[in-house]
Amino acid sequence: MALFISSCKHQENEYHSITDKIEAKSKDYHGVSVSSEPYFGDIDLIKISEDGQSFLIPERKGNIKSYACTECHTKPLKQMQSKDLKKAHWNISIKHAGANTMNCITCHSSNNMDDLHSLTGSKIDFNKSYKLCSQCHTEQFKDWKGGAHGKQIGGWAPPRASLTCVNCHNPHNPAFSSKWPARFNTQKIKERK
Amino acid sequence: MSDDGKKWFKLNLNSKHKQESSSACGCGKTSGGCNSHQKEDFNEEEFFEAAVDASIGDERKKDGFDQVFDVKMNRRSAFKKLTASLLIGAGAVTTSCSVTTGKDDKEKAQIDWEEQFKGNYKLMTDDEKSGTVDRLVRSYQLRTGKTISMSSKNAAEDVLFGYAFNISKCQGYMDCVSACVEENNQDRNSQMQYIRIHEMDNGKGFNFNEADDNYYHEVPAEGHFYMGTQCFHCDNPPCIEVCPVQATWREDDGLVVVDYDWCVGCRYCMAACPYDGRRFNWSKPEVPEEEMNRNQHYLGNRMRKKGVVEKCTFCVQRSRAGKNPACVEACPTGARVFGNLLDPKSTIRWVLENKKVFRLKEDLGTEPKFWYYMD
Amino acid sequence: MRRLNVFASLVRDSLDIITHGTKKYHLWMAFLTFIMLIGMYCYSIQLEEGLSVTGMTDRVSWGLYISNFTFLVGVAAAAVMLVMPTYVLKDIDFKQAVLIGEGLAVAALIMCLAFVVADMGGPSVLWHMLPGIGVFNFPNSMLTWDVIALNGYLFINISIPFYILFRHYQGKESKKSVYLPGALISVFWAVGIHLVTAFLYQGLQARAFWNNALLGPRFLASAFAAGPALIILVLAIIRTFTEFKIENKVLKKLALVVTIAAQINLIMLVSELFKEFYAPTHHSESAYYLFFGLDGKTALLPWIWTAISMNVIATVILTFHKLRNNLKVLYFACGLLFVAIWIEKGFGLIVPGFIPGPYGKIAEYTPTGIEVGVTLGIWAMGALIFTVLARTAIEIETGKMRYKKKER
Repeated sequence: MALFISSCKHQENEYHSITDKIEAKSKDYHGVSVSSEPYFGDIDLIKISEDGQSFLIPERKGNIKSYACTECHTKPLKQMQSKDLKKAHWNISIKHAGANTMNCITCHSSNNMDDLHSLTGSKIDFNKSYKLCSQCHTEQFKDWKGGAHGKQIGGWAPPRASLTCVNCHNPHNPAFSSKWPARFNTQKIKERK
Repeated sequence: MSDDGKKWFKLNLNSKHKQESSSACGCGKTSGGCNSHQKEDFNEEEFFEAAVDASIGDERKKDGFDQVFDVKMNRRSAFKKLTASLLIGAGAVTTSCSVTTGKDDKEKAQIDWEEQFKGNYKLMTDDEKSGTVDRLVRSYQLRTGKTISMSSKNAAEDVLFGYAFNISKCQGYMDCVSACVEENNQDRNSQMQYIRIHEMDNGKGFNFNEADDNYYHEVPAEGHFYMGTQCFHCDNPPCIEVCPVQATWREDDGLVVVDYDWCVGCRYCMAACPYDGRRFNWSKPEVPEEEMNRNQHYLGNRMRKKGVVEKCTFCVQRSRAGKNPACVEACPTGARVFGNLLDPKSTIRWVLENKKVFRLKEDLGTEPKFWYYMD
Repeated sequence: MRRLNVFASLVRDSLDIITHGTKKYHLWMAFLTFIMLIGMYCYSIQLEEGLSVTGMTDRVSWGLYISNFTFLVGVAAAAVMLVMPTYVLKDIDFKQAVLIGEGLAVAALIMCLAFVVADMGGPSVLWHMLPGIGVFNFPNSMLTWDVIALNGYLFINISIPFYILFRHYQGKESKKSVYLPGALISVFWAVGIHLVTAFLYQGLQARAFWNNALLGPRFLASAFAAGPALIILVLAIIRTFTEFKIENKVLKKLALVVTIAAQINLIMLVSELFKEFYAPTHHSESAYYLFFGLDGKTALLPWIWTAISMNVIATVILTFHKLRNNLKVLYFACGLLFVAIWIEKGFGLIVPGFIPGPYGKIAEYTPTGIEVGVTLGIWAMGALIFTVLARTAIEIETGKMRYKKKER
């Protein structure tokens, strides 16, 4: 009898489930002393706020090799597309949606190459290119804002910094492609012979 | 697209060969800062060699098929490795004998004595904790002449660690497995791994029986999805109840940890774990000196002894410092989310509150703090 | 002081006894010592290299050692089958046999402890388990319950026979008021050790094969078949080689105990098989592996089917009075039953618990030579301990060894 009373496994568990525990314990949450900041390194971060969620994302323009685009794109795109001029960006082919849906000027503003533009033509800064993606990828955008999609920079501790869409996805070819696994465990094979 | 232009932070995902280098990390930085670049003091190529050697050794020139079926080669290479390690061991002994003075030997003996008869870490005061950590660091220095840093940082207030895994995002690249092994100084000879990635057939549900957790082909494979398992850091862990000496326990921040020096090696916890979360050091664990991660924690990745149980600690040496575990950081697809469950604004909380989450074997009442979700 | 003198003399006399004997006896002891030395050599390799020299892996993390431990707990518990009627129910028949039974229990318990130590990854830090200087996770861990149960039972089984023999050695009758309470406790304790050992496995929700309510009772039934079966065999040997008188009546009564336990064991086996195979679920996979193999992995099939056929044959033989009363047939049946239960309650219980693993992976287990060596060594040690205890007891009981009686 004593066995059953004394070996009751839940004696220290005052909560019915882990969700109850989280709820109860986070009521008087005061924040933590550790911070992610030391781990950001030399990345320039900018703060964004979307629907009440605000966090940091990497600055973009400084990392584009040939920004500002207007250094070459002095004229609107139509006037530059002539045969005599030296070709640039010839190696970029768009593997994003289909040709029916997208071409260069779906995102790039042909009149001002330093900026992107939305489907309805309003200006989008290169630093906030996620606004471009979120036009179609609404679900991913929602998940990214919350933190279910994408990756964090630094660590779990606040302040929150997340990679933005183009840090992982090449906007011209956004899909991840296949590769070989990083490891192969030969020991496991032996074990299961 | 241009590879060297670095117009966007490229994740090196598009190569059709075996991964080029383990230094590709998902943090979006090309160098420095990010912790998967810690080993940059030796060049990329050396590092690549070392990493490949560590993971597949002599078999690297063969394809997956050969590796699986050419057992003779395996055994021979294993034997070679064994002889090599014996030689290294003998070398270490002779050098240590010739270099160390009598005073050092005395100190070593003193440390060994105190370590043999120290108490359970769980019950130690903070002073005692830092005492044993200092002894271990000193002992390592005396033995190898190299310094490590070891932490005895306690659980912080208002922290409860939780983990979420996106099964729609995981592509089975196993970068997490690799990062984990390197971060946590796991035995290279037995190829111990905390993480398993299960390749499941679409349309068959979570059928672990038919899943393959040791695939070696291009991934993601057509018609499959991937699901990772590791220690789930249960809130009601059956493993800690059964330990006869309380060598394993749940810390206040939710991490289920092992005091490797207190463990008697009865393996009752391994039998009690429903999630295959624990590993045993069947022989003396060995990590090549140059691959050793010197940023250690007493409860985490410090070197283990033979005959003790170890497990995933959510990289306690990292997580208690505010960083993400190595697996989270290494994941190129962002399938892994880690954070503080008590922080209402954390991403892990958002996942739990907004995604459809589930856990494995919930009916066992173990309350894992490891959730799965889908896009 | 006088008692100490008596004790010293007892030790001296028994040392004298056990170092002298017939040629066969010396051969037997030399053989056991030789096996023990082999076992010790194997164990030294295991200490040096770690448990990697065994066949165990992260998948099947308990093997031959724990299997033997589990089985031997049963053998030890079975001593109660003799204790209960003799001391408590005043059944005179068993009186001579009971000392042998308790000696067997002591040997079995020491073997149990040896098997547990052999299975430990860090035997040098076993002191962590000692209450006081270590941490004893009581009552949470069933293993700590088992440690208490086994050591307590060992103490009881050493002290009662010791008291009786000590009195007889001095030519006195043993006082009932002294040993009866101990005997009563040991009756409950014996059931206790086996149930607790069963709970060790039964309490793991992770292993469906063990997490079943019948495990404990089946442990008891099989133990009460295998234990007395071994006692019958041992008594038979003692009867032939020594002057210790054991009547047929004793053997026959023991045979009845074995028969009933074996029958109950079979009924439970049928119930278990019905549950696993009439409506098989995900949780029946271990049973499938054990009885039919899984995914072409069939390492345990020959063992378990041998065990079951031996079990059934032995039970059938025992069930018929005519066959059971023929001593030769009885010995044969007891031998069959003992081996059958050793396989079933050892290998057949522990290994399938781990197969398939938590995620359905199958890594089969085959003990290595070193593991077998250590196991044989421990069995030899048990046999040696029992031989020593039994010889001393027999000499005292037959009146050959007495305090202040110089001639032997």
